[in-house]
Amino acid sequence: MSPILFWFFALLMLVFGAAVVVNRNPIASALNLVVSFLGLAALFMSLDAFFIGIIQVLVYAGAVMVLFLFIIMLLDLRAERLRKINWVASAGGVAVALALLVQIFYVIGHLTFSKQTFPPLARSEIDDVHNIGLLLFGNYNLPFQIIGVLVLVATIGAVLLSKRERR
Amino acid sequence: MSYLELLKLAAPEATVAVTALAVLAVGLIRWGETPSNRRSSAFCSAVAGLGLAAAVGAVVMLPQSATLFGGMLVITPLTSLFKIICLALAFFTVVLARTDLSSRNRGEYLALVLLATIGLMLLVGSEELLMIFIGLELTGLSLYVMTAFDKTDIRSAEAGLKYFLFGSTASAFTLFGLSLIYGMSGTTGLAVIAQKLSAQPISPLLFAGIVMTLVGFAFKIAAAPFHLWAPDAYQGAPVPSAAFIASGSKVASFVVLGKIVLVGFGPDKGSAAWHAMISGWAPVLAVLAALSILIGNLVALAQSNVRRLLAYSAVAHAGYTLLGLVAGGRDGFSATLFYTTVYAFTLVGAFGVVALVRRETGGDDLINFAGLRARSPLLAGCMSIFMLSLAGLPPLAGFFGKFYLFIAALRAGENHGLLWLVALALLGSLVSLYYYLIVLKVIFVDEPAQHETSLPRRNVGEGGDFLQRVSLSVPGPLVAHIIASLP
Repeated sequence: MSPILFWFFALLMLVFGAAVVVNRNPIASALNLVVSFLGLAALFMSLDAFFIGIIQVLVYAGAVMVLFLFIIMLLDLRAERLRKINWVASAGGVAVALALLVQIFYVIGHLTFSKQTFPPLARSEIDDVHNIGLLLFGNYNLPFQIIGVLVLVATIGAVLLSKRERR
Repeated sequence: MSYLELLKLAAPEATVAVTALAVLAVGLIRWGETPSNRRSSAFCSAVAGLGLAAAVGAVVMLPQSATLFGGMLVITPLTSLFKIICLALAFFTVVLARTDLSSRNRGEYLALVLLATIGLMLLVGSEELLMIFIGLELTGLSLYVMTAFDKTDIRSAEAGLKYFLFGSTASAFTLFGLSLIYGMSGTTGLAVIAQKLSAQPISPLLFAGIVMTLVGFAFKIAAAPFHLWAPDAYQGAPVPSAAFIASGSKVASFVVLGKIVLVGFGPDKGSAAWHAMISGWAPVLAVLAALSILIGNLVALAQSNVRRLLAYSAVAHAGYTLLGLVAGGRDGFSATLFYTTVYAFTLVGAFGVVALVRRETGGDDLINFAGLRARSPLLAGCMSIFMLSLAGLPPLAGFFGKFYLFIAALRAGENHGLLWLVALALLGSLVSLYYYLIVLKVIFVDEPAQHETSLPRRNVGEGGDFLQRVSLSVPGPLVAHIIASLP
């Protein structure tokens, strides 16, 4: 991908990502998140990770966002009222975030392998989806099944915490 | 690798998972009229207890040693022992839930305890980053729900929210750190990571990865400055949940933290010796330990609620326990494992007493413990043993735990480089004696408030005695076993 496209999509992601946090209206936030996800999917595609790119669009921009919107609708959320901003706390937060950013840039700048360009990926005979299936049900079989248990916990928790108790 | 073989090696986890499903199903059964709600919840507890016992049996039947998928599931005598310990702690939690929790939604609660136990067992029995992270998440998610379980109590909701927010942020950091480590080494198996790391020079990126990984674990073990959730969670959560967070989750976290730093990051230990600090993970853990000992002990002095006091003392104990990992090596690791196990059983016992006192008097402030000696000599005796063991007085198990830790830290490195940390820990234990003795003074000397004496003495010591007797007798033979089972 040409650098111009990279910068375009990266900026798109960042701007809309920031808009998710800044927006006071939950529905606007959710829609901003969709655009941010689309930018991320484009970046994945530019790295030759087509499968992840498509999954990003299907699962995150599609299914997960629909769930978000459903929840926003069901809970009948309104735009959040503007609060008084605690300037000391936000300045502190910005300072910590900046410090982390500087540190990460410093660390990555000092690495030898961050300066080299990587060779293009070797083309595989077997397609991505097939490979992922093989790994998922072969080597990563155990984690795959444990994640099933994890999803069960999440389901039980969501039902329990949102159920209305009779007094 | 066939599925049957996998099932054989993961039999304990599978048993607990099936039990959890069974408990969920049993909890749904209606037993006719309303009063039988209690019968249904008793049945749930029985099924959960039986399932845990069966899982212990399955652990015993495991082969001596096996490794699956490059370390995702490792079976050694050590992991088997700690799986049994996790199962035992889960069993005590089930017993505690019988005395403390209202019988509403009992099936779901016990199922969550069992599912969290699966997470603990996976954590204990894995030497691979992916499985470790999934185990952390499984345990964490179950514990968040268990913390917020009591929906009639706003404190419980607050505790659950705080625990969840801190926990999810910490695990995001851990995931970032682990992915950096994976990026540098190209593998997720701890042993292979150690080989790769020793082959390359130390780089800032590696340190970023190590520090970020440690953040998540410092949260799990409630080490300062990542302890802020602990007091609210310990105080607000239902008592069995708090006991399980303080015991099971802590033991498994220390086991896996020890494995990660000693096996995975082994080549980049550095040194925490005074005047001879070398960067690596050891100084990071040393700073965490020092802060925890200071903050935990000093803030505990000012607490008037027994559960909050136990929470701050838990922060201090996390600090002591880290000493063993800073010392490193076989001695240090075994001292850490021994101490955290003894501590877990003692704390479950202490929470058992808190649960009974809470049921009798309706609160768990220090005032509610006033005159406990007259009301129930047995409970008062148990509590005094737990408190003195936590303070580390001989001849109780807590003393030997601290003794091993301090000796291991003193012997590590040249010129007693860790003397500063040991001195700090000794000072901290001295301070801690004061607030443990305050609890005992309230129990034995203070007169109970008038209205409490008039309460009937029912139930105290009915279900909990068994629990406390067992947790008292456990630590003794455990010493030998842990030391013997280390590689």
